[in-house]
Amino acid sequence: MDPLIDRKFLEKLERLTIHWQKSFPGLVGGHNVSRFSGPGQEFLDHRHFHQGDDLRAVNWLAYMRLEKLFLKMFQVEPRVPVRMLVDISGSMTTGGSQKFEFARKLAAALCYVALVRLDSISINPFDSKLHESFICSGGRHRFAPSVDFLAALKPGGPTNYLQVARSFISTYQQRGLVIVISDFLDDQDCFRPLQHFADYGHELLLVQVWAPEDRTPPWTGELDLEDAETGGHLEISFDDDARKAYTSAFDDFSRQIQVLANRYGGRYAGLSTDMAIEDAIFGPLTRTEALVG
Amino acid sequence: MFLLNLSLGEFLAIFSAMSGVLVALYLLDRSRRRQRVATLRFWMSAQKPAEMKHRKRIQQPWSLLLQLISIALLLLALAQLQLGTPDRVSRDHILILDTSAWMNAKVGRGVLMDAARATARSWLRLVPPADRVMVVRADALATPATALETNREVILDAIRQSSPGSSALNLDQALTFADRVRKMHARRAGEIVVVGAGRIPAGDDAPRAVPAGARFLVVPSDLEDVGLRKIGLRRSPTDPDLWDIFVSVRNYGHLPQNVPIGLQFGNAPAGSKRLTLAPGAEQNVNFEYRTKAAGWMEIRLFTSDAFPQDDRALLELPAQKSLRVIVYSNQPELLKPLFAGGRVQAQYRSPAQYQPKPADTDVMILDGFGPPAPPEIESVWIEPPAGVSPAAVATTRSNVEIRNWRTDHELGAGLRLKDVRLASAEVYRLAPNDIPVAETEAGPVIVARPGKHKMVILGFHPMRTEMRYELATPLLFANIFRWMSPETFRRWELNAGSVGTVAMALDKDTKPEAISVTADGHRLPYTVQDNVLRFFAGNPASVRVQAGDRDVVYSLTLPDVADAVWTPPADVRKGLPRDYPTAAGAQDAWQWLAVLGGLGLLLEWILFGRRRQLVAAGTKAQHPWREKFGLRRAS
Repeated sequence: MDPLIDRKFLEKLERLTIHWQKSFPGLVGGHNVSRFSGPGQEFLDHRHFHQGDDLRAVNWLAYMRLEKLFLKMFQVEPRVPVRMLVDISGSMTTGGSQKFEFARKLAAALCYVALVRLDSISINPFDSKLHESFICSGGRHRFAPSVDFLAALKPGGPTNYLQVARSFISTYQQRGLVIVISDFLDDQDCFRPLQHFADYGHELLLVQVWAPEDRTPPWTGELDLEDAETGGHLEISFDDDARKAYTSAFDDFSRQIQVLANRYGGRYAGLSTDMAIEDAIFGPLTRTEALVG
Repeated sequence: MFLLNLSLGEFLAIFSAMSGVLVALYLLDRSRRRQRVATLRFWMSAQKPAEMKHRKRIQQPWSLLLQLISIALLLLALAQLQLGTPDRVSRDHILILDTSAWMNAKVGRGVLMDAARATARSWLRLVPPADRVMVVRADALATPATALETNREVILDAIRQSSPGSSALNLDQALTFADRVRKMHARRAGEIVVVGAGRIPAGDDAPRAVPAGARFLVVPSDLEDVGLRKIGLRRSPTDPDLWDIFVSVRNYGHLPQNVPIGLQFGNAPAGSKRLTLAPGAEQNVNFEYRTKAAGWMEIRLFTSDAFPQDDRALLELPAQKSLRVIVYSNQPELLKPLFAGGRVQAQYRSPAQYQPKPADTDVMILDGFGPPAPPEIESVWIEPPAGVSPAAVATTRSNVEIRNWRTDHELGAGLRLKDVRLASAEVYRLAPNDIPVAETEAGPVIVARPGKHKMVILGFHPMRTEMRYELATPLLFANIFRWMSPETFRRWELNAGSVGTVAMALDKDTKPEAISVTADGHRLPYTVQDNVLRFFAGNPASVRVQAGDRDVVYSLTLPDVADAVWTPPADVRKGLPRDYPTAAGAQDAWQWLAVLGGLGLLLEWILFGRRRQLVAAGTKAQHPWREKFGLRRAS
């Protein structure tokens, strides 16, 4: 089997870091600063001492001058959990499974970036439900098991974002960065479930993956369309005008996803599968500052 | 307006088939294609209002209609549509000139062939100048004299040079040949015109089917003729000096004839008879003539009819050959009874008079002595002394019995004698190629040795044993002489007949390698089937067939006069046509039709096909990686 990502590309990924905008509480060890104080090195502020506070943080010089106990607070760079939701539903398999392949490669690349920076990242495949996750952490030498996990994924089945969001929120209490790699094609609404992630304090990075024929179908004439997930049929006469209307509807949908991400402080990247994975990483994803060099 | 290459039915059939295929492809192209998509969400917004869909549906058939019209135009171009009437187009005619033997029959001051030539020329004058004509000469074989030709001088020259042959007319073959030429080479089929007397052999040679567009220009030939049909001569089986002569005569006319028939040998009368023949009857006459000499035998019918060529036949009779034998013997009386009479001329000399190569001698017999020099002709050695015998003597036995004769060889043919005892016999040791003719328990006692000079060695004197009273003794010497000089003992048959196919029954044991058929020194091809030899002679010739010891000469000099007159079917046109339509040039339209058909297809491609291709090209441009990795769309 061909490797998902070649070595040369992995070397390029080593200079990247997954970046998030929100401040999250957590243990020290991350690389993004947080507005929450904690056992860090950088001084943040003073506050009154309360019973039970750590005496080691008392500003004794201030006490000697003012005879009041002040506690020094430090800025922390917490270790924030990065969770990646990878869509493995049936809609990802249309057009020769290009979308699914693309999503896997992208997930592998992000996984490697996280491992290099000693971040902990969990891969959560989903379709109508949240499947068993795979947590990878501990450095780049743990990359191979995550690739094996991604390679073993089998796509198929309908999508149910609402169910997935419920499962995710109940499973993961600690807030963090949620990266969703999907085509977001759910017959039911996907916007409300995505909103739930944000409501529960997670930062969203929405990566929409589409095949060129998803945006501009190449066919003309009388078509009998079958939904890859539901099996529903639609007979349609398709021409250039219809193609324009279709593309317009698709772009509107993408725009709505982007608006949702921006509204809740998250980020959005739309990636077409005819784009090289390297271009996608160092192009749209870097521009959103989800990855910084 | 008419089609040159196809009939209307053929055109419609091809057009229907092509249209059917086109419509099927059109429907296949326009049928709904099933596509699997990620979601149906965006397709809903792409659905057209009802009136738009309807407009689209009625637009599509224009592509089909344009393609159908273009194909019809191209097919019409292939079928060579011409403007004008079919009658105004040049046609290709086949003129069959009867050149059978009967066309040599006298009529008035000329012969039938002159009348046929005149009729052919009259017909040719009526043929429009643009029409092409092929001249075919027909007798037993149909031979084209010209190609399809518009040059009238060439055609007239071919008619002028046509002359009667020796065989009968095979009209069926001629009509079949003309029909095939017309189908394969004619641009537009004209007439097949038969000019002749229409006299054909009764039986299978009548035309089975007359091609369409045939015309028969009959040359009247209601003539009286009595002719020799077959002649056969062979030596009498009881008397070799006597020739049995068989003559078959036929009355081809409509009146009874009383005809004298005479034989002449060496210009001297050899016999005559008178025959009375009813109309259409055939009668056989037998003659006998005794001669040993060679010479010309003439058989003649003393009549003056319209066709004198079959009133006389001339055959060369070969001389009766004898075998010249010299017998060197001290006791010639013993052998004299053996060689008395028949076709052996024996001379008896003493051994002292021996010569290795005596003049005018075919075979020598050496009786009981060894010559000082070996013979230089064929020789028979009887009981030679052991020291000088050409075959090595193995032993000399007394009171031995002949056990076996070599009956599968011509030397032992017919020899069955078993119970004769030999008082004394030399038993020989065989050399390579030696043939043991008779064998005893101890070994061979008669040995034959082939070679430049054949020889037979007898280890005993047949006239001193019990064999002198047996028929086997003269038969043995007859076999020996026939083996040594086969030319002398050939059986001769002479036949006179007409040219064509000749069939000859072979003897049962005739070997294929012993057959030879030659005509005037050249080998003729032949076939042997069911013990019948067949060969074909197209021209008068003397054909010699050698088959084993038979020599049959066919003098194929009698003309083959057909005995029936062909009556054409009612639908065959007869006589000269009043007028052929003049060829005033129908106009070709295929160039314009081809251009229009091409333009139609180009227009269809511009209006409908190109757009489809642009969409496909656009799709390719959007997916360069797809081409790179050899991936294909599901559609």
